Amino acid sequence: MSETMTAETADHPGARPAANARGRANHKASSIEMQGLHKRFGRDTVALDGVDLNIRAGEFFTLLGPSGCGKTTLLRILAGLEEPDAGSLVVGGKDITETPPHQRSVNTVFQSYALFPHLSVRENLAFGLKMRGMPAAERHSKVDEIADFIKLGDLIDRHVDQLSGGQRQRIALARALICEPDVLLLDEPLSALDAGLRSQLQVELLRVQKRLGMTFVFVTHDQQEAMVMSDRIAVLNGGTIQQVGAPRDVYERPVNAFVAHFMGHDNLYPISARKSDRLITALGELTAEEAGDGELLLIRPETLDLLPGAVEGPNHLTATVAERLYRGSHAEFRLAIADTTLQATVNNRGRHLPEVGETVTVVVAPEDLVTLSE
Amino acid sequence: MRKRTLARGLAGIWWVTLFFLYAPLFVIVLFSFNSANSTAIFENFSLAWYRRLFGNEQIINAFGNSLVLAVSSSIIALVIGCLIGYGMYRHRHRKLGWLIVLIYLPIVLPDIVFGISEMAFFVQIHEWTGLLQPGLGTMIIAHVTFQIPFVALIVYSRFVGLDPTLFEAAKDLYASPIKRVVHFMVPTIKPALISAFFLSFTLSIDDFVISFFTAGPESATLPIYIWSAIKKGVTPEINAIATLMIGAVAMAAIFSMLFNRRGRR
Repeated sequence: MSETMTAETADHPGARPAANARGRANHKASSIEMQGLHKRFGRDTVALDGVDLNIRAGEFFTLLGPSGCGKTTLLRILAGLEEPDAGSLVVGGKDITETPPHQRSVNTVFQSYALFPHLSVRENLAFGLKMRGMPAAERHSKVDEIADFIKLGDLIDRHVDQLSGGQRQRIALARALICEPDVLLLDEPLSALDAGLRSQLQVELLRVQKRLGMTFVFVTHDQQEAMVMSDRIAVLNGGTIQQVGAPRDVYERPVNAFVAHFMGHDNLYPISARKSDRLITALGELTAEEAGDGELLLIRPETLDLLPGAVEGPNHLTATVAERLYRGSHAEFRLAIADTTLQATVNNRGRHLPEVGETVTVVVAPEDLVTLSE
Repeated sequence: MRKRTLARGLAGIWWVTLFFLYAPLFVIVLFSFNSANSTAIFENFSLAWYRRLFGNEQIINAFGNSLVLAVSSSIIALVIGCLIGYGMYRHRHRKLGWLIVLIYLPIVLPDIVFGISEMAFFVQIHEWTGLLQPGLGTMIIAHVTFQIPFVALIVYSRFVGLDPTLFEAAKDLYASPIKRVVHFMVPTIKPALISAFFLSFTLSIDDFVISFFTAGPESATLPIYIWSAIKKGVTPEINAIATLMIGAVAMAAIFSMLFNRRGRR
């Protein structure tokens, strides 16, 4: 119930200026420098295999990768819940590699939320402040302040048992934010929620981060979520960083096949020969502009145009529609070209959408072609 | 039709079981209020036996011994069992299964075997060192030993039921190791601790066999007193003691259940 209410108020961030202004703007954000981080579990499992990463102060930074890629281990090292075998970790100019978690100005929003079952919501929120020795009166006003800021409303007086998943998530966020840490860590905080609530909380989380200017390090395996939320993304695989960049860089210019596949790209073709800017692949010959010198050609499905019938021209490929998935706002095509297939996404502007079996011409723009390494 | 017969048969078993369980207790309670010195014919309602009971110094002594034994052994067992339960939880992923079996042994071992071996053991130690003369001290040690596995089991299962991330959340939220114990672990498992205490208390009050073998001349507990008194025949006085014990144990059991249930919610 109160989730819908927040949705309404969240659309008007200026509606409660008192909460926004109160002592939040002067929060200092901290940068993070990680160097040569290694972590091994047991004898054979390598979780991190030399991670160097700099996160800027006030950045919304996402660690993205499949399960077992090392992203959660990296986050746990930041929190101090795991000790690296080698390497150093500097937050806000201070080396905290050896600092135990309870002495780090770093707080975590856990995937399971980890709200204390023996405490009320209010006591949960005040826990960190109490452990740091803040007097009760001051704690109380801090709790009211954060409840106002995150718009917890009457949730504050409930028992933890009585909260839904989305409500728990917001309490967990408030419990971490109230301590005003140098860095906030978020371990897949939205993964347990259903799609609608999830996208609503994504927006809310993003707004909170922008308003506080705090450094957020967010872990997810969902590339859509990473692109929506992040200032920058690090894609991890096998305990190493594959690529670091803004969402558009990572999506539009992935550096290797792993990143491309992980970002959802299927149209990857080995380049068999090159004549200056002309690339030969299984699709045929295509002219590319500034494609780089990788050995794989990436064609993004949404950059393609389809013309009815066979049309001759530069970067025109004749194809047969093998499959069509109608999605309302757009349609996805699997096209048979020579001995291979090509995916194309076409916006539904009310024009003719080719049927299965129809012959079409694919128009490839030279500036949209990207090459990458294996 | 057959289904109904089956259901009735099962219900019958239930009622017969209850009858054999509670009818003897009812008889004892009833005859403790009998004015006549008989366990066969009920004459009039009277509190005479209770009055006599509270005038009997031996009984008061035995009652005091039972209480001191139960309370002190339960407290000691709670502390040690709690540490063991936490240890079992912390190391649950390691190969320490055989250690857990060791701790559970007293639960399955017959009391008489346990009692006799404790006695022999204490006698040996006394022979060699002069310490551990049979008495309240040896009884407390023996009781603590058989209470520990129950406490450890309750505490362990409470910890296992918790989200393991809670321990990390406490660390993350600036709680030092000592503060984690005081502000997180103890409050979180408090219902289990109270429940374990009352269970230990009931086990101790109940126990005759182990107490009998480890007691000294001055440290007879209520069950031991009853056993020696009963050799002269069951008197309504014994019924009165039994009634009081039923009441006390039932209360401890109810508390134990209530707190455990509250913890699970």
